Amino acid sequence: MSPLLEIEDLRVSFRTEDGVVGAVDGVSLSVDRDRTLGIVGESGSGKSVTGLTVMGLTRGRSTTISGSVRFDGRELTTASDAELRTVRGNDIAMIFQDPLSSLHPFYTVGRQLTEAVRAHRDVGQGEAHDRAVELMRLVGIPEPEQRMRAYPHEFSGGMRQRAMIAMALVNDPRLLIADEPTTALDVTVQAQILELIGELQKRLGMAVIIVTHDLGVVAEIADDVAVMYAGRIVEQAPKEGLFGAPRHPYTWGLLGSIPRLTAPRDEALVPIAGRPPSLIHPPSGCRFHPRCPYVRPHHTRIDPQLEPTGDPDHDVACLLPDPVRRALWAKLAAGATPQEARATEDEMMGPPTETETETQAGRP
Amino acid sequence: MTRYVIRRLLWVVVLLFLVSALTFVIFFVLPSTDPAALRAGKTRDPEVINAIREQLGLNKPKIEQFWIYLKGIVLHFDFGHSYLNNLNVRDEILSRLPATISLSLGALVIWLFVGISVGIISAVRRRSLMDRAAMGTTLVMISAPVYWLGLVSLLLFSQGIGVIPIFPGSGSYTPLSEDPWKWFTSLILPWLVLSAAFAAIYARILRANMIETLSEDYIRTARAKGLSERRIVLGHALRSAITPIVTLAGLDLGVLLGGAILTETVFNIPGVGRLSYDAIIHGDLPTVQGTVLFGAFFIVILNLVVDIAYAYLDPRVRYT
Amino acid sequence: MYRSSVRAAAGLIAMLALVLLVAACGGNGGSSTSASTAGGGTTTTSGGGSGEVGQPVTAPPDNAKSGGTLTVLSAGDVDYIDPGLAYYSFSYQALQPTLAPLYSYAPGDPSTPMPILADGDPQISNDGKTITVKIKTGFKFSPPVDRAVTSKDVKYAMERAFTKQVPNGYMSAYFGNIEGVKAFQDGKAKDVSGIETPDDQTIVFKLTRGGPVVGALVLPVTSPVPEEYAKKYDAQNPSTYGQHQVSAGPYMLESYKPTRSITLVRNPSWDKDATGDPRPAYLDRVEFQEGNEDPNVASRRILDGESLVSGDFPPPPALVKSTVQGAKKDQIQFNPGAGTRWVSMNTQMKPFDDVNVRKAVLAVFDRNAMRLTRGGPLIGDIATHMLYPGVPGFEEAGGMKGPGNDFLANPSGDPQLAADYMKKAGFADGKYSGPPILMVADNSGVGAQGALVAQQQFEKLGFKVTLRQVTHDTMYTKYCNVPKANVQVCPNVGWIRDFADPQPVLDPTFNGKNIVPQNNSNWPQLDDPQINAAMDKAEQITDPGERAKAWADIDKMITAQAPLVPWLWDKFPTIQSANVAGVNALWNEGSYDLAYTSLK
Repeated sequence: MSPLLEIEDLRVSFRTEDGVVGAVDGVSLSVDRDRTLGIVGESGSGKSVTGLTVMGLTRGRSTTISGSVRFDGRELTTASDAELRTVRGNDIAMIFQDPLSSLHPFYTVGRQLTEAVRAHRDVGQGEAHDRAVELMRLVGIPEPEQRMRAYPHEFSGGMRQRAMIAMALVNDPRLLIADEPTTALDVTVQAQILELIGELQKRLGMAVIIVTHDLGVVAEIADDVAVMYAGRIVEQAPKEGLFGAPRHPYTWGLLGSIPRLTAPRDEALVPIAGRPPSLIHPPSGCRFHPRCPYVRPHHTRIDPQLEPTGDPDHDVACLLPDPVRRALWAKLAAGATPQEARATEDEMMGPPTETETETQAGRP
Repeated sequence: MTRYVIRRLLWVVVLLFLVSALTFVIFFVLPSTDPAALRAGKTRDPEVINAIREQLGLNKPKIEQFWIYLKGIVLHFDFGHSYLNNLNVRDEILSRLPATISLSLGALVIWLFVGISVGIISAVRRRSLMDRAAMGTTLVMISAPVYWLGLVSLLLFSQGIGVIPIFPGSGSYTPLSEDPWKWFTSLILPWLVLSAAFAAIYARILRANMIETLSEDYIRTARAKGLSERRIVLGHALRSAITPIVTLAGLDLGVLLGGAILTETVFNIPGVGRLSYDAIIHGDLPTVQGTVLFGAFFIVILNLVVDIAYAYLDPRVRYT
Repeated sequence: MYRSSVRAAAGLIAMLALVLLVAACGGNGGSSTSASTAGGGTTTTSGGGSGEVGQPVTAPPDNAKSGGTLTVLSAGDVDYIDPGLAYYSFSYQALQPTLAPLYSYAPGDPSTPMPILADGDPQISNDGKTITVKIKTGFKFSPPVDRAVTSKDVKYAMERAFTKQVPNGYMSAYFGNIEGVKAFQDGKAKDVSGIETPDDQTIVFKLTRGGPVVGALVLPVTSPVPEEYAKKYDAQNPSTYGQHQVSAGPYMLESYKPTRSITLVRNPSWDKDATGDPRPAYLDRVEFQEGNEDPNVASRRILDGESLVSGDFPPPPALVKSTVQGAKKDQIQFNPGAGTRWVSMNTQMKPFDDVNVRKAVLAVFDRNAMRLTRGGPLIGDIATHMLYPGVPGFEEAGGMKGPGNDFLANPSGDPQLAADYMKKAGFADGKYSGPPILMVADNSGVGAQGALVAQQQFEKLGFKVTLRQVTHDTMYTKYCNVPKANVQVCPNVGWIRDFADPQPVLDPTFNGKNIVPQNNSNWPQLDDPQINAAMDKAEQITDPGERAKAWADIDKMITAQAPLVPWLWDKFPTIQSANVAGVNALWNEGSYDLAYTSLK
């Protein structure tokens, strides 16, 4: 049996005034029932676009989509708008980052929930209402009957996200896509929401995709993780594999950005130096090379492919030899800075040579 | 809410007092006409001029004139008599209000209908040929002076002088109470002319609002829920984008009820605007005062209505 | 709260700004009849189309039809609907068909009074101080009064116009010399003792001194008012008789909606044969539609429409030209004798207290350029003296050519001559040097254009002109009519007689004793003892020929003093629909006389 959702070589680009933005560039993913996939990356990595494209929400006159998105065997990229509408909010539901801006400010929460019910079910107002209340209760909103009549701005941040989740779940979706569901929330509330999503997944047997920039969120909830950078997946692994033995320098950077509760308060976060690359004119070769502390000259020419690492289900797209990467991660895990770790790399591979540079330049 | 409304209404009273005081001061400070001398016409007989001055109550000190005026309004809702033809200002304004209300409300309906339809279609079909054509037309409508537009429409379409004489022209206004059909046909051209610029402005504003709203997160949510495009545009996007339009419409209507001077003039509609314009030109203070007060009243009251409506339209707004 | 206050404030400010703007500089000085024009006429034309374009028509066609409704389009309203107060020519046009004044004029002859209510010419005693007028039988008031008119009704009509409730503008000037007026006005007498009614068909005027009373018997105030009916309205201040008036003429007022409409219908009590009223009264109904403030739209409606005529406004110059040249040329008339226009100089103030400076101004003035601002030769002749065509004495005073003053010889101006006069005035290089002069003028319409041309004329002589432009009403009531305002030049003034006599043209405007603090119409403030004395004498002359001669001499004396620039003798344009057989009343600016006009 094929997975519930299967994405293959998905490419999404937008025509803008400045040029064509290749937001997603050859992404392949899959997620199955009862599983949670975390897609991680910085803003602009294409992770949100991937999620939205599954829903067909990136369609438009200036968008080009290719590749394939199969949901339960149905191809969604070529489905008509009308067909897609029957899937959206029904089989596949989505929740968003900022529940305040994602709920209509002028309509009561109850109305927005019942509307979601009635968009897909031929039921009366009363039945839709009951269903909405049921879901409100399910997601842990106290006094759901009263809260139905309240407006979004009258909810707290956490309650709003619960309401969003309730709205997403009214039609028993088989796949829930959560796009940064906790980013806009307080730290304490974040944990509750993640817990809720995890719990509901188990209860309802859904597949879940969590799109986030925060590896901490992934660590908490995901079964599998895909790390995206500049429109591509650079590392993909089961959670344990990724956190236990990350293979990509970008993943290391992300791991370095996680605030650890165990770490002393004054320990500075180690962000990844540099800015996310332009998606109109992406860097040549390995797209991460301008920011990679371990870059070698030929990395600017050769485009790495996602390849198995040898660990089960663990793929990575990096040009550094695997032993070098293992050694580097060992150093970093021991607390070395990237600069210190780089010395190890040079030790093992020798500093970049003139000839290397020249040959590189001489090649067509 | 009730307290808020009461407080606002008290402000209305204060504001109207200030407006009338200001008008009074403007009238006496600026070189205007001498109403008694004007009323006396060619005569040079000081006795006659004084008799007229007395009739008009202008022989009393200015402060006392103002006091008498205010007393008249407060005690008897009496706005005095015109310096020009001795008409009761209140009666004159009230008798002219139906024409102005007919003109303003009819135009409001047209410009809301046209402006909103065009705004929505243009926003949804952004950058299409239809959008470009509509936005080009709105620019012309906004730039065209009402007076000019009125003349052109008369020369084109009015019976008697038009090239295609299909509508009654200038001076054909008939009160609704006299003949509803004549009332309607006589107002078609004025309505179109008056609403043209408004419709254009509203279309542009609504288009911009809609485009902005359509990129809002909650529209994405609505799509994610699987709602139809029609429902998304009309139910979700329009609901937000139209709120400022409602506010604007209320205020514009308030201003128009004070008199649509140019349209009333071109089409010779006996409305409040014409009355106030003539009064200003001929230094007819009581009529100026009366029309200014009525105009100010409509503006502040409709403003209050708009604010209250706003609280209903946007649940985030609450007045205390 | 904050946002809404800002919005409300914006709206209110916009409104007040409009008040300010219009009060200070807006306005429409040209569209309504000015406070200083009413009545008019000429002797030169007679009935029928003479073939030339734009000739007035002063008699109905032989086959004139009876019946129909005529609509008069006007911009403004009457000044007063009360015939005891009405003083604008438009008011005369509207009211005259409802009135039966003692005398009036035939449409084509604005100089010779014709009896209406009176039975024959007035009998004047040898000393000129007793005037007896017989009254016809047969005139009846319209319902609800519906009774025969008597001399007492004329007496009451005139008396009420002396009261505070009916502040008539001309009574003191033309009838103030009737015996007992003062006692009546002071409340010491119940009636004016100098107006006697020995029987129902006779009215006698006893005067303290000779004056213009005879000529003034054409004014609407001599139309009868029934005391028993009008008393209750006249007791109010101001009187409300106007709204409730009854008529003795062929028509009566059916309704009057101020600033909107006036409707005249036939007076059922009027019988042409019984009254001997010369007016044919063809139309069944006359409707005045007011508020047509755009002369372009209104004129086109008239020319292209049916059963419409113009009321108080002239068609705009461009339309006049195209009409004269086009197929509708028979629908326009230019009526001479519609008043005269002046650029006045303040003879009481430097530098215009010097007659040579004034003559220099007249000499340099390009009156042709002034006339072009209003539409060129069609709309009038260049003035060469003060009396204008149609006023008795005009021919004696020099006629169209004028009395021959060198400074009025060239209608386009004579700079050399002007320089000579400036030298005589002590400006050696022929140019003025001194402080700037104040000119107050209209701020819109043709008046504003005329002011700019006038300014250029003064600047030719080296004057620096401070031009203040205000609304037409403000120009008169706050500046030019107020000597204390110390205005040196008023370029937008003009005058029109009240009846066919030279005195109403020259006396209010050039007699030193008529310089008054308010509503002064002696704009040059000319106070020449010789001229004043001559007027005092001429006023009392009763023989028409002698009277005309005496006033013509005064005209020459005034013109020699060059107190103002006479630049136009107006021909007022009137227009009508193709199916209207309009008759122009030359005594009233040529406006259509509705008691003679018919539909084709």
